[in-house]
Amino acid sequence: MNRPVLRRLPALLWLWLLWVLLWSTPSALVIVGGLLVALSVLAVSRFPGVSRQITVRPLRLLALCWRLVANLVVSATAVAWAAVRHGPRVRAAIVEMPLDADSDLLVTLATLLTNVSPGSLVLEIDRRGGVLYVHVLLVVASGEAGEARRKLLANERRLVAALGRDDPDDVPPLPPPPPSTPPSRKDDA
Amino acid sequence: MSVVLDVVSAVLLIGGALFCLLASVGVLRFPDAVCRLHAAAKAQTLGLLMILLGAALQNAPRYAVPLALVALFQLLTIPVTGQIVGRTAYRTSSLSEASLTEDALARRVPPEERLPSPDD
Amino acid sequence: MTAVYYVVFALLGLSSLLTVVRLVRGPGVLDRIVTLDVLVTLFAAGIAAEAARREDGTGLPVLLAVTLLAFVGSVTAAHLVEKREGMR
Repeated sequence: MNRPVLRRLPALLWLWLLWVLLWSTPSALVIVGGLLVALSVLAVSRFPGVSRQITVRPLRLLALCWRLVANLVVSATAVAWAAVRHGPRVRAAIVEMPLDADSDLLVTLATLLTNVSPGSLVLEIDRRGGVLYVHVLLVVASGEAGEARRKLLANERRLVAALGRDDPDDVPPLPPPPPSTPPSRKDDA
Repeated sequence: MSVVLDVVSAVLLIGGALFCLLASVGVLRFPDAVCRLHAAAKAQTLGLLMILLGAALQNAPRYAVPLALVALFQLLTIPVTGQIVGRTAYRTSSLSEASLTEDALARRVPPEERLPSPDD
Repeated sequence: MTAVYYVVFALLGLSSLLTVVRLVRGPGVLDRIVTLDVLVTLFAAGIAAEAARREDGTGLPVLLAVTLLAFVGSVTAAHLVEKREGMR
């Protein structure tokens, strides 16, 4: 078995598992059919392998998951309160958040984590510059925008501590940037 | 045991429905599309997760699988929707300028590169 | 437990009503996309609660299709808004 096949094994197993779970009755037809479907999906698609881009540290990951749930509860309560108490008078800010995370998967997880932090929602991702632009509801985040940014950065450091690579220099380079297409208002339709 | 289970799932179901209601209040009252996304992405996600958990406790264990998958997909897709809607809102000038106290993105997407609001 | 379900359905129904008000008022396309997403999620919550009430989860796999369709729909619609505005 060569390396590319081995690298895509987690994706294959996940797709297969998903198929069996969806049918929820593990008969022989479902299991064999699931394997065939998973293989054909992988054959026609070219997903980049993401599993090599991280190093899992289970304890810190568990702490992170707990933090995610706790954050979601706190921020849901805060948003609900703001909706009732402030409604149309809420104030917002857009802040920059430089990322330590260097791989696609980590950036995705950092986005998820930022989204469940009280008052913040990722508005735009500058993947190449490694910056998230975050929309912050100020009445929810308590305090001004600088405070919110400090909290977000602390969250992201926890994420990198849980899943960041041991050897960060070994990250595969990004593909070359796509040709820039500035939005045009010309009537070219 | 069944009574305990009933109480826990009743609390989860009602709590979840309450969060859904408060999220809808947010959707109704917040000033622009992105602020409304906050309500959808947090209060409503928590509400749905609580209802799913409450429903899972009332059903046979094998039905917990589709419920868990719904919860997983919800958690994974909300940030994507948020980012795409947020990005489009910013670039089409749909954000309520009056409620923004600070705008770091203006350096990257200057106002002249943005498109006129779709409502004009 | 029956009373619990009445409360849950009343709350979800009220939420849907508030959401529909926002859907009608808009004002923009993006507001309506967000609002529709919220509405579909409310339906999903309702389906799950109904499955719990009847203690019959046969309809639950439908939930997966509903939530995923809502996601694909929102993303596609948001993209279309950006495209359409770009051509104006």
